[in-house]
Amino acid sequence: MRKPGIENFKYFVGIRSLADIATREDRICVLNIMGNESRAVTPVSHAYSGGNVVFGTSPGRRGQVLETPAGNIPVYNNVREGLDAGHKFNVGVVYLPPSAVRDGVAELIRINPDIEKVIILTEKIAVHDAREIRALGQQRGVDIFGGNCLGVADSWNNVRIGGALGGDKPAETLRKGSVAIFSNSGNFTTTIANYLSIGGWGTTTLISSGKDIYINYAAPEFAFAMSNDARTKAAVLYSEPGGYYEQSVTFDKPVVACVVGRWKANLTRAVGHAGAIAGSGDDARAKEKWFMDKFGVNDLFTPENPVCSKKGAVVTNIAHIPQALTAVMKLNGVEKDFAPEGNLELKPWFGDDQGLKLPAALNIPVVKAMSPYDEQIAELLKNVGAIFPRQSMKDCSGSSVMDPKTQVTKVNNISILDTAKQPLESNLCLALVREHNDANDNILFNLAVAARVNLHGEPMLAAADAAREAGNAPNTAISAAVALLGPKRVDGARQAADTLTELFAHSGLSKGDDEQAKITPATATPEQLATLLGKAPDAQAEALLKAFDKRGAKSVFVRYLRSLNGHPTTDAVIAALTTTIAWEPLIRKRISRLTVRNLPWYAHLFAVIIGASTESKNHQPGKFWGVSNEEMLESWTVTQLAYLALLGEKPTAANLFPFQVMLGLIISNGVGTISAQGCKGAVSADGPESPERVQINKGMIGFLTHTGFAHGGNGYEGIQFLIESFKGTPLADASTANHGLDLKKMATEFALAFNKEKKVNKALGVPVRSIPGVNHPVFKGHPVNHDPREVYIADLFAERGEKNIFHDYYRTLVQALYDNGVTANVFCVNIDAIIAAMLLKLLWSRYRKGEFSESSMEMAAFTAFLFGRMAGCAGEIDDHINRGRNMDTRTPASQCSHVS
Amino acid sequence: MNVSGMLYGAQLLKIVDFPASEVLGPEASDHEIHNLIERCGSVFVKPIFKGGIGKKGKSGLIGRAKDLKSALAEKERLYFCEYKVGDVVYKSRGVTFEGAVPAQHEIYFSITDSTRYRAPVMTLTHHGGMDIEELDKSQIIEVPFDPLTGLKSFVISNALSDLGAPREIVSPLVQHLPKLWDLYHHYGMSTMELNPIRMMEGKSGSLIPVACDFKCGFDRDDPRVNRLKLPDDLFVTESNDFEQEINELRTYQGQSDVYVINDKGTILAPTFGGGANSLVTEVLGNDAIISSDFGGNPPYEKMYDVMRICLKYYLKQSNVLFVIGGKANNTDIFVTFRAMADALRDYFSEHGPTPLYVVIGRGGPNVIRGMGVFKDVLDSLRIPYRIFGFDSAMTDVVNYAQEADRWMKSGGRAEVAKVLGLPADA
Repeated sequence: MRKPGIENFKYFVGIRSLADIATREDRICVLNIMGNESRAVTPVSHAYSGGNVVFGTSPGRRGQVLETPAGNIPVYNNVREGLDAGHKFNVGVVYLPPSAVRDGVAELIRINPDIEKVIILTEKIAVHDAREIRALGQQRGVDIFGGNCLGVADSWNNVRIGGALGGDKPAETLRKGSVAIFSNSGNFTTTIANYLSIGGWGTTTLISSGKDIYINYAAPEFAFAMSNDARTKAAVLYSEPGGYYEQSVTFDKPVVACVVGRWKANLTRAVGHAGAIAGSGDDARAKEKWFMDKFGVNDLFTPENPVCSKKGAVVTNIAHIPQALTAVMKLNGVEKDFAPEGNLELKPWFGDDQGLKLPAALNIPVVKAMSPYDEQIAELLKNVGAIFPRQSMKDCSGSSVMDPKTQVTKVNNISILDTAKQPLESNLCLALVREHNDANDNILFNLAVAARVNLHGEPMLAAADAAREAGNAPNTAISAAVALLGPKRVDGARQAADTLTELFAHSGLSKGDDEQAKITPATATPEQLATLLGKAPDAQAEALLKAFDKRGAKSVFVRYLRSLNGHPTTDAVIAALTTTIAWEPLIRKRISRLTVRNLPWYAHLFAVIIGASTESKNHQPGKFWGVSNEEMLESWTVTQLAYLALLGEKPTAANLFPFQVMLGLIISNGVGTISAQGCKGAVSADGPESPERVQINKGMIGFLTHTGFAHGGNGYEGIQFLIESFKGTPLADASTANHGLDLKKMATEFALAFNKEKKVNKALGVPVRSIPGVNHPVFKGHPVNHDPREVYIADLFAERGEKNIFHDYYRTLVQALYDNGVTANVFCVNIDAIIAAMLLKLLWSRYRKGEFSESSMEMAAFTAFLFGRMAGCAGEIDDHINRGRNMDTRTPASQCSHVS
Repeated sequence: MNVSGMLYGAQLLKIVDFPASEVLGPEASDHEIHNLIERCGSVFVKPIFKGGIGKKGKSGLIGRAKDLKSALAEKERLYFCEYKVGDVVYKSRGVTFEGAVPAQHEIYFSITDSTRYRAPVMTLTHHGGMDIEELDKSQIIEVPFDPLTGLKSFVISNALSDLGAPREIVSPLVQHLPKLWDLYHHYGMSTMELNPIRMMEGKSGSLIPVACDFKCGFDRDDPRVNRLKLPDDLFVTESNDFEQEINELRTYQGQSDVYVINDKGTILAPTFGGGANSLVTEVLGNDAIISSDFGGNPPYEKMYDVMRICLKYYLKQSNVLFVIGGKANNTDIFVTFRAMADALRDYFSEHGPTPLYVVIGRGGPNVIRGMGVFKDVLDSLRIPYRIFGFDSAMTDVVNYAQEADRWMKSGGRAEVAKVLGLPADA
């Protein structure tokens, strides 16, 4: 039978006062207590409320418990089992999925004769069920809150029931005071309480009503209960469009009504709150008017136009609530509950302009957050550098990406068409620190590499020579040297890099070369100093520092080393150089500490790959290919050193540019390339989840062993083709415009001969050979086809007024092939042709003089590829170490196939 | 999720055996139309709009024909006609031919859930066939009833007595109208309107109520709608790939409600909580691309997918990515922010960078860890940003986002593009 309700209402209402909504005496049963939301929220509510949940239900989980700081809550299959076990409760909280809510409410009402209140948290309850739930509650005389609400709370009683009002730290928001809150929005219930406390007002009872079409505990009931609650002196009511719940309500205490949602009249369906969709009579403007009429005001309250009466004020901005409430209460002669705890001004807790000059309105400085968030932020900021989430990195890269449409690869978002314009030293750093170098960075990296190129006296050199003599290709010979540069050999430099990072991490230093920065590093411990200083002067370190000065370089870390009373080691100086380059990206969290730590290793590996590519006879005491170590340190670039190692001569500026372009173009061709797969496999096998154990030199060997005569060495095929074509000509200089050759005639002759060969082979069933450097699987099918990379390079050299007869020949050739019916359309000249043409142009005169054999030419083409590609592969290795999982490159058996 | 017109209305009414006028769809042959005119004397030709579009008659969008030739002429006129409601233009996708029902009485009947009574309410008048708003209050009756017992005959009978209805219509209505409750309550409807029901003379001389127009709204949260096996695309009011894709993620755990406000907007604002949604939508107005509520503690995967779809459709055109919510009660900020930041990072990986200013305002569980993870991603992507705590007024944060949008429009976007290594017009 229905219990008698309060006589003032035509329908059943049982709660007489707001003080009765969430009391210390309430005992609670939670339906679906082990559901995701309840598992997170119920323990906090239970502990905050002094342990008011007597049991929960979860079908099939009888005997389990929900652990909470205030003790375990027992779980039963259903309500009856809980009652049979001797528990008693008067409040049911429903966390069931939408389709089960109606039955859950019925269970609470029918099984438990003591039930007084039901709180429904679930969202998206069907209207069908909501109308039946309403009727069930009315029939049996039970007060229902929600659905789609966040429960109720009482700041005086320290009780919250149902949802998560006040979040995971209820005491922080639910401050004892004199204001009741009734809100259609669960989040705003907490947010308004938070705003009120900042403005000096505490709360009594907080009700999140929900905003479905059926609101069971609505504004009229709230107004009545507020009137009977002696603690409550005023209320804040947050209301959204839709529904007539507030229309005929009368308040006998002051109220600030916040009506938000004028703009919602433009929407044709509800978003979020199912009931927040209005007809013509219950939209936001209509509701504003209802409240204005109740309060006897003729306008909305704003700080500029603070319209209010003793009865209340209407705002449309929740931030104005504390001010409006204070104004209304002043008219009633009531002071704030406590001193305001701050203000609602804009307070960025984090921010970064990324070097932009923002206008004043946007350039609001980051402020210290309120306690305890300031301490949390301080803890967070102790982490230096990026932390990448780990995932399977099979066929996946955070370093490179190739656009399948244009076939243009980007490395750390920089197109290889742009890396082609950068020197090798800058591209090597781009792959690792994810940004190109500035001029100072280039100097620093040139120093770090130049210091290690001359391998005289190193066993690495002997290993490479022995491998070469055994008939291996350059990649294998270099691998032998690289194998000897294991972790032990670089520990000193890595520790030095770690020390520098630790000392400067929280100094406020933002740029490694900012020598004017007024910063104080942490004081180094003796152990830290030992990683930087040696007992005796280190000759190479001194040579490095001398060259550093001579080049006019800048580094906060080098300056720091010099400020120490001692002898910096070579490892420490090199670590200082690489850390300077890496510092800005590290502080901006573009790269991890791990990358900074390993950077000296990478620099050393690059030096060894360049050095070991040339025979030991070119490494002499103090000299490399006849250039003194001192000169290399003081003036050479990595690009020049690579040229020297490859071609045995100092490049002219005219020669250096095409060489640089060629290397820049080939640094990466995406993560799918065999070389990238090789180095990633090597990292994956070591287990990147223990990054300390990954042998980066082995990763480099993985790259090197995954190049070969078909991948990397094939650049020679183009050279061979060009040599065949030009062998019989008198061409002496490939860069002159007046070469006197009739390229069209040559190309036509070739086309006709090729056509003949093709026909003969076809007749014989012999496969037709393809012409190296012509055609591409992507750039085909149009009347005239272009490889965009080739076009870009052609334009680049045309702009500089540089000629390359081999490139011109290729362009003439594809036209001649079409004109003579060999190809169905004009094939493209591809990127391999460009590389062959550039390299051959550099070597042509020496080849003609007999100084460079065809076999050396083949080796040079292959080695040049390795020099370029080592940048991209270093990037892949570092990326995989930072992001990958152990053994993530393996292919599941289900995706493998078998042939017999 | 609305249905209007007799094409589907007649089918729905058939489920509960409520008589309905004869109707032919757009595919009807000349022969069928001719026969319908022969049987009924005349036909009404009505355009088919997706969703529930009212007041077509007033706009001259209902044709009446007494012969095949005029019926076909009306078909040609109305087949692809356009109808403007507010700012939205609806385009017809075919016509229906509805047999005329001769009658002396026209009835208006509707059921809806009323927030005044917090119960289902029947509205009834025997002065139907016109806009209900145009009638005097005394001519209409509104009766709430108990959903547990349903709309029973006595409720109808009492209502007709109160209205003083002519006695010949009382018995047929008392017999037939309760059937409509079954249709309303058991198939997931939240509104239903039959106007007019024409009281046609039957063979025995007694009157039969025949529904001549039908409108209903379905509750998108009620799986009972599926019992009707209506075609999936019936409720797609306007084809919008974005909403379509997002709504596929709609489950009870965590909201994923999105509404496209202005597909030319420049502020992409994933909003958390129904309240924040109202407030942000209010202040941003047409600057906002979407109005959304992603609260309710969505799990990582869902949040990631929602964000991925938002970014896929709208990041390129956005000046400001504005992530805003109040002080969350239950939503784990670390989980939701990590998902959103990952989606942003993955967008940049897949599509390349795009100039952007990011503004965030939020509080709640794990807020600092959440902000930290967003900050890291923004730093690594080199995007300028400000992240506000929950002690900043939410409206001021919204205004800040608008200020950022204005700056981006007046040269800021080009400056950000430069930092990202993009052309100025990116």
